[in-house]
Amino acid sequence: MTLKQQDIETLVHLFGESDWTELHLKYEGEEIFLSKDPSSPGPARAVANAATTAASANVGAVASPASLARPAADAATGGQVDRSGWTEIKAQNLGTFYRAPSPESDPYVSEGATVTEETEICLIEVMKLFTTIRAGMTGTVREIVAKDGDMVQFGDTLMWIEPGA
Amino acid sequence: MSVSRIFVANRGEIALRVLRTAKSMGLETVIGVSEADRDGLPAQTADRAVVLGPAQATKSYLNVDLVLHAALATGCDALHPGYGFLSEKPELARRCDEEGITFIGPRADTIEAMGDKLSAIAVARAAKVSTVPGTDMIDSAENARAAAEELGYPVVMKASAGGGGKGMFLARSADGLASAFTRATREAQAAFGDGRLYMERFVEKARHVEVQIIGDGEGNVIHFGDRDCSVQRRYQKLIEEAPVTAMPDTLQRRLRESAVRLCAHARYRGAGTVEFLYDVAREDFYFIEVNSRIQVEHPVTEEITGQDLIRHQILAASGQGLQIAQDQVTLQGHALEVRINAEDPARNFQPSPGRLTAWSPPSRPEIRLDSHMRDGDLVPPFYDSMVGKLITRGKTRDDAIESMLRAIHDFKIEGITTTLPFAARIIQHPEFRENRITTRWLEDSFLPALETA
Repeated sequence: MTLKQQDIETLVHLFGESDWTELHLKYEGEEIFLSKDPSSPGPARAVANAATTAASANVGAVASPASLARPAADAATGGQVDRSGWTEIKAQNLGTFYRAPSPESDPYVSEGATVTEETEICLIEVMKLFTTIRAGMTGTVREIVAKDGDMVQFGDTLMWIEPGA
Repeated sequence: MSVSRIFVANRGEIALRVLRTAKSMGLETVIGVSEADRDGLPAQTADRAVVLGPAQATKSYLNVDLVLHAALATGCDALHPGYGFLSEKPELARRCDEEGITFIGPRADTIEAMGDKLSAIAVARAAKVSTVPGTDMIDSAENARAAAEELGYPVVMKASAGGGGKGMFLARSADGLASAFTRATREAQAAFGDGRLYMERFVEKARHVEVQIIGDGEGNVIHFGDRDCSVQRRYQKLIEEAPVTAMPDTLQRRLRESAVRLCAHARYRGAGTVEFLYDVAREDFYFIEVNSRIQVEHPVTEEITGQDLIRHQILAASGQGLQIAQDQVTLQGHALEVRINAEDPARNFQPSPGRLTAWSPPSRPEIRLDSHMRDGDLVPPFYDSMVGKLITRGKTRDDAIESMLRAIHDFKIEGITTTLPFAARIIQHPEFRENRITTRWLEDSFLPALETA
């Protein structure tokens, strides 16, 4: 028995939800190393499997696939960004993500925008019912992960905000 | 109305059951799950799984908007609601229609008509299907006596204005009927400000029997035989079997014909179950209700007919008609189903959720297991406690029972407590083996005897 992609996805997911910072698993000749610290030197002894380390940096953000193809374990966007200290804004339910109140309007926020708790940052639509999402914190929008008009699922990362006055 | 991608709006074993048939028909599948089920077998079996919301059912499986949005956003052209959750909500069927999604179930107006007890009884009467014989208001003790003679003792009188036993009495003969009538009228008057009473036949020994049907929505309906689900606790079925074997042949034929007649009258579309009360002493049956969905116990019917009822559901919903004639449905042998609930019978059936540390079912040709559980899976505490259904098939009822006892014996489950050992005790009981039980048997006789044993 070998590790299947689904097993790896599950591991990545569970790890993302856990309080752990690193996970190093060796299983019948295969090896997986997961870390939430992008500057991690890697697994203690052996060199980790390159394909799986790609998933290391940001296990929380799972992109929503446009087709029926299952997302790959490393579907998360680029592993190079240092998000330490940033806060994820997650979808509270499935819906369609919109960056602007209407197609003609400017987006609520763009990367680099400063926000306060009350700042409206996006819309989630469910069957023509639009819910405005507020930042709920003071800080700077660092990364907008969800794409305008895409379906997002419960728990998906919509954007990252760096806390600060 | 052709169907190519089905959205499964349910969880657990029925979600898996629907996914398997859909896949065997070459259809694409999407499932909407809650956070608690995102790593479960149904989510992994579907071509695509989307997470609707948190574990709480009202924010996931029971939210019509979320379910519809997910089905549309994933490009589905059909939706299967399973059982429970939204399966009998006319609103979901109606809104699927509005959005151009084929609802795999009856039309919204049928679900509505069958969901209301009085309107369902009206449909039954219009189709000349017998309901529990009763009277309109009775205004004197003398008329009560005449009505009782006509209905046949025992009879029960009930207050028109309310329930809770107020103004209700049971009469086994004309003795004391007059004084009971006066007393009940006074009691109802005091309790509800309305002393009017009506009378019904009292069914002392009742069995729960039901007929599986499929309709094409145009008035063509066929049946797939019947089931007996008399082992119940608090109106929850625990053990089901097919076909009914405790009924005279001619009566059984009439039972099946009644179900077909009722559903033809309603121009029923898809799979449905017509439930009846079987009055053992009078050898008569009365319509109770129609369940306008696939039922938990459908596998016993599949096992004796060799038919895939989910497939027939999908075909009927997509306008492809029945695809089978009544004379092509043959009933062979006997099938028994035991529900595997994560509950502890020794602790008043308290739910027993948890992590499965062992799940190893026996595998033999006569055994079928409908379950979404695997070794290491978590039984979440948020939903129904049913973790699967164990089904056995045999040439005779006794064969099926013997196979079931062996299957339960060989089924290793650890980490949670289930009702399987309890079910084994039920089906070993002489009264079950001799097929003499009624719907009250488990609670009135079997359980009290267990407690004093």
